[in-house]
Amino acid sequence: MSFINQLMPNVSLIWPQVWQATLETLYMTVVSAIIAGFLGLIVGICLVVFDESGIVPHPATYSILDKLVNIFRSIPFVILLAVIYPVTKALVGTGIGNTAAIVPLVVGTIPFYARQVQNALVQVDRGIIEAAQAMGASNWDIILRVYLREGLPDLIRVSVLTLISLIGLTAMAGAVGAGGLGNLAISLGYQRFQNDVVWVAMIIILIMVFIVQAVGDWLTRLTTHN
Amino acid sequence: MSEPIIDLEHITVTFRDKKSTVHAVKDVSLQVERGDVYGIVGYSGAGKSTLVRTMNYLQLPTSGTAVVNGQTLGKLNTSQLRQARRKIGMIFQHFNLMNSRTIADNIDYPLRYSQLTRPQREKKVKDLLHLVGLDDKADAYPAQLSGGQKQRVGIARALANDPKILLCDEATSALDPKTTGEILDLLKQVNQDLGITIVLITHEMAAVKAICHHVAVMEEGEIVERGPLLDIFSKPQKQLTKDFINTAAQLDTALAEVRRQPAVINLAANAQLLHLSYVGASTDQPLIADLYQQFGITANILYGNVEFLQDTPVGNLIVILSGDISKFPAAFAQLRQEGVTVTVLDPKGDAVA
Repeated sequence: MSFINQLMPNVSLIWPQVWQATLETLYMTVVSAIIAGFLGLIVGICLVVFDESGIVPHPATYSILDKLVNIFRSIPFVILLAVIYPVTKALVGTGIGNTAAIVPLVVGTIPFYARQVQNALVQVDRGIIEAAQAMGASNWDIILRVYLREGLPDLIRVSVLTLISLIGLTAMAGAVGAGGLGNLAISLGYQRFQNDVVWVAMIIILIMVFIVQAVGDWLTRLTTHN
Repeated sequence: MSEPIIDLEHITVTFRDKKSTVHAVKDVSLQVERGDVYGIVGYSGAGKSTLVRTMNYLQLPTSGTAVVNGQTLGKLNTSQLRQARRKIGMIFQHFNLMNSRTIADNIDYPLRYSQLTRPQREKKVKDLLHLVGLDDKADAYPAQLSGGQKQRVGIARALANDPKILLCDEATSALDPKTTGEILDLLKQVNQDLGITIVLITHEMAAVKAICHHVAVMEEGEIVERGPLLDIFSKPQKQLTKDFINTAAQLDTALAEVRRQPAVINLAANAQLLHLSYVGASTDQPLIADLYQQFGITANILYGNVEFLQDTPVGNLIVILSGDISKFPAAFAQLRQEGVTVTVLDPKGDAVA
């Protein structure tokens, strides 16, 4: 232990805080991922089915969704944090802390994930959709049993991508008062010149990313049959 | 005659976008009798795939009515249309199997909409796999199958809900000639054993020749010629039809070869290059011998081909006839009376008979 203490003199004094920050990051990531994943998936599916070449073409709805996604994706996350502060406060009761951070994280992730889902699902061969229609499948059947099933490997791939990007965003949210590893790295590490704290925060985040990536790759392999 | 199982009346399909308007199908009326195998041939872009999609309303016609299985498709609501589609099987050029499901699950998918119980569905899938000769592939995935095997799965899936009709959209176009033959044999079996009416869309006259009873030729959204297979093959009216037939009989390649022969290049003044074609009974007549006995005309056969369409022989000969030129008209008249189509060919030209 003395070797580690020597290598990381500051971290060794605050292990409980590091553990706490890790849990906060996991909390923000998981809760945001569940909410944004669900809503983003719905928006993504809508983008596919309402498209001109989709199964329920609806140009007006498509156009509105498409533009909203573009606009929200264009807002830098740090600015989004500030812009939706009033909404956050109204929803959570406070604008500070990791629960409050979930609101901007969700808002920032939905359009990103929706676009990724759209890109994944449009890969599903149009001919397979047509075959399902010819067999008398309903639109719900086609969404649930054809699009989501046939597009599953790609959906897993884009979900991993989104989850990794979400972990990155939690660090950014942390820097402006949401807690977690981002906060640890900036306010304890960077601003107090405790470089070892910065390094440890980074390594923990990298480990999270690697685990997400590895599980995602494994699931993709499991569901790919072509 | 009984009511046709498919009755298209004045079907028009027009695609419009901001830049252009495409008339894919123009005022086509088409009747297919129960139990028939009806071929629709045409080059790509002729509108045949669009036309076949109006038979299950995957493509809504811009105008016209489609009555299929006694139901006017345009009058059905969404749920009724889905019901109707379950009795109209369809197979595709690129098979369109679901890659994430096993072969058995692919065939089981349409059964989800049937009233069958789980064990009944399993039995049905097993029977269908047996019908298409893939008993051992139940647990394989489509990616592990060859093109011909994939189309067999496509056929099994299309037959799952016991349809009355099977629509085949370029079903053999992605397959090699041998596999094409096997798939066509399977379709023929489906037609004969199960009594399913088949509509076959293709750009290959050879496929039509193999199994169809009736044929329609499409060009630029219109049916330019139609009729029983033998009539179309023995007496094609339109140039397009002749092109398709000649390609199928490989007559055009044969003729190009024939024109390079010295006997044709140096064609004597008392000789003519001819294309003789005949159907059925004429083949029993000793045509060539008669020409010599009655008119003193000798025949040099440069190319010959006899095929059987629905068990009727159809012959094509390219010959040089030589003798007394003044007797040729009488000889031709005699041949025509015997049911032989006589066409004088230009020895140098490139037009096909």
